[in-house]
Amino acid sequence: MSVQECDFVVVGAGPGGYAAAFRAADLGRSVTLIDPRPTLGGVCLNEGCIPSKALLHAAEAFRTVTDLDEWGISLRKPKLDLTTMRAKKDSIVSTLTGGLEQLAKKRKVSVLLGTATFSDATHLSVETADGNQILCFNTVVIATGSRPVILPGWPEDDPRIMDSTGALALREIPQRLAIVGGGIIGLEMATVYSAFGSEVTIIEMADQIAAGADEKCTRLLHKAMQAHGCTIHCNSRVDRVETTAKTVSLACSGAFDGTLEVNAVIQAVGRRANGDGLLAQNAGLQIDPAGVIKIDAECKTGVANIYAVGDVTGAPMLAHRATHQGKVAAENACGHKSVFDTDIIPAVAYTDPEMAWAGILPQQAKARNIDHQVSEFPWAASGRNLTSGAKPGLTRLVWHKPTQRLIGASIIGSHAGELLGELVLAIEMGATIDDLALTIHAHPTLSETTAFAAELAAGTCTDL
Amino acid sequence: MVKELTGISAATPSIRALARKHGIDVDELALELEQDRVSEADVLRKVNGGSAPSSSSGYWDVDHTQYGSGEAVPMSRFAQLAAANLTASQQHIPAVTHHDKVCMDAIESFRKTLADEGTKRGIKVTAMVFHIIALTKALQKFPTFNASLKPGGKELWLKQYCDIGIAVDTPHGLMVPVLRGADRKRIWDIAEQLSDLAKRAQDRKIKPEEMGGASISISNLGGIGGCAFSPIVNPPEVAILGLSRTAYEPVWNGTGFSPRLICPISLSYDHRVINGAEAARFCAHYATLLSDPRRLLL
Ligand SMILES: Cc1cc2nc3c(=O)[nH]c(=O)nc-3n(C[C@H](O)[C@H](O)[C@H](O)COP(=O)(O)OP(=O)(O)OC[C@H]3O[C@@H](n4cnc5c(N)ncnc54)[C@H](O)[C@@H]3O)c2cc1C
Repeated sequence: MSVQECDFVVVGAGPGGYAAAFRAADLGRSVTLIDPRPTLGGVCLNEGCIPSKALLHAAEAFRTVTDLDEWGISLRKPKLDLTTMRAKKDSIVSTLTGGLEQLAKKRKVSVLLGTATFSDATHLSVETADGNQILCFNTVVIATGSRPVILPGWPEDDPRIMDSTGALALREIPQRLAIVGGGIIGLEMATVYSAFGSEVTIIEMADQIAAGADEKCTRLLHKAMQAHGCTIHCNSRVDRVETTAKTVSLACSGAFDGTLEVNAVIQAVGRRANGDGLLAQNAGLQIDPAGVIKIDAECKTGVANIYAVGDVTGAPMLAHRATHQGKVAAENACGHKSVFDTDIIPAVAYTDPEMAWAGILPQQAKARNIDHQVSEFPWAASGRNLTSGAKPGLTRLVWHKPTQRLIGASIIGSHAGELLGELVLAIEMGATIDDLALTIHAHPTLSETTAFAAELAAGTCTDL
Repeated sequence: MVKELTGISAATPSIRALARKHGIDVDELALELEQDRVSEADVLRKVNGGSAPSSSSGYWDVDHTQYGSGEAVPMSRFAQLAAANLTASQQHIPAVTHHDKVCMDAIESFRKTLADEGTKRGIKVTAMVFHIIALTKALQKFPTFNASLKPGGKELWLKQYCDIGIAVDTPHGLMVPVLRGADRKRIWDIAEQLSDLAKRAQDRKIKPEEMGGASISISNLGGIGGCAFSPIVNPPEVAILGLSRTAYEPVWNGTGFSPRLICPISLSYDHRVINGAEAARFCAHYATLLSDPRRLLL
């Protein structure tokens, strides 16, 4: 078998991998990008962020049509054509993956279709359609991402039992749908399927959905989801699954103690890092029992010239974290000094309404004994919110009292994810109460709620 | 102050990246500077070892070999530190230097009478001893000279002790050991401690606790020469007294010129704390104390 000499190799073509590959190419390295998927973009583009957001848009549009009645606009009862919807979603995905391909070509990044494993600290073995190839590399970035956790003891190969990828395939709209796990992915799937008519039941083990998010905003989301027809059981777990030709039955215990008869189930109980399966021990790398590769702030693994980025390095498993890490790894590998040195990683649940947060939330500030102040503006008092559908909404800001600086933010409401951008920047720039309160926000906008919340902290608000 | 906020950085992302490039941790720098925030200027000042500010560091970035041959010799760690302090002083203190002259005739004749006893005791009483004593007296009369500005510039810290910093020229650089409690000491003690501090400074044997916290400092170039200079205030002190070479000068006594032993003094002071008239009065008082040493008893 011939050995191919490579300079800079990236394993995995998701957001972490392609960012590392493109940045390294821009810094003059000769780059090889390996992934068994026929399209670039990893989970994010192919079966994660992008297809899910496409379906969520469709779900929102579908719901909006019914909400228009109270505005005196009546349309025919909307009808779903899943084939067209799937095609639309897939075409968005291929526009983006095709775009990535162009970007790779432009940078002369060579893409190798295959699955890589380590032979030693300088060699990879890549299983391709044309057999095995050995690559000898100078630098490697591991960006193999994560995969859905599959619950043990569940029936396999039953199309009614899906993970997020199966759910995004949108084969049908089951009449009764159970979603196991009330994290962001589970809640987004609940939002899609409940909009299209499924009776959704969410079973969550923790005492709140969207674990880690702001408690107060989450309570609002909980209510909103119930208003959409979702049943939510927190503090509950599925103990057993039985299938018949007609139904899937879930035996549950905890706060909800009983059996749930449904037509389909989505497992959304978390994702497992893909550190295993790489034979990384051959390169002297440690993989922890959760499949995570440990890295430092420079994305170094401890083995010279081997970097790791993205979901494979653990939580929070988010595309924008992966992308930033990818650049940090590439820059360090190219002799620059670059560090991933922030804890301010925004998170967005694209539910209805959206929920978005970043930084230190009230419950964390309390737990960490940080001298803080919380100010919040309810959207019931926002002109812009009332004139555009009046969904529930709340802007909550957390301030560090001694310095008056913004240290955390949480928003629930329409476009919360977009509104959060300003606040992430404010935290990073060390903006104070007055900085936000004295910055003029256009009226009427949803972003005004940010200024109002700051004014409340300053004691200068006249809108509440 | 900043450390308690893990994850909340003292600087914006671009400044953090800049600091990173130079191997500086902004959170540590914030602690060091006792600031909530670290600016680009703070980082660049740190990079330049606290010396030349960033905007002008280009002045020093010159290829000297294009003009002729030469050799680069390293600055000692010690000299680099002193440079940082001196630069900080120049950048932060609006300093003015007031010059005056002190008649040392009376001190000189008194000093001569101590020569025999000095030999017996093995102690040499120099004019410097009397300068220190006069300075402690002057500080008692002018308490704002024995003070420091508090951060933020809203308060003045008046010191209720009298410790005199003595600038000593050593082979490894300038050192300022402190003679503690100078107002409570007698001539012989001061003389003895002065020579001890000077000697140990030469040998780099000054302990850390013997530096810092002075009321005011004296820099004496009298042994070398010169007739005036502008010493740099040693922060957080607010003034420093420079002494030049004591020499005979013709002084008009009303009917004719008579020779007088004159010591030129140069007082640099922080104009935020001390105004010009006060400085002039301080120097005049100081001169009176030494020209008629009996006044030191008052
Ligand atoms: C339904 C869903 C919705 C999501 N929504 C969002 C969202 O809205 N916002 C957000 O920020 N994040 C979202 N995420 C998470 C996001 O997709 C991930 O955080 C992101 O894709 C991680 O990027 P990555 O580069 O680490 O790895 P991945 O995107 O997981 O890519 C890893 C790639 O590595 C390849 N690979 C694995 N092993 C090997 C091997 N041995 N050799 C070669 N290649 C290999 C895989 O084929 C894959 O293409 C979502 C995830 C899901 C499942």
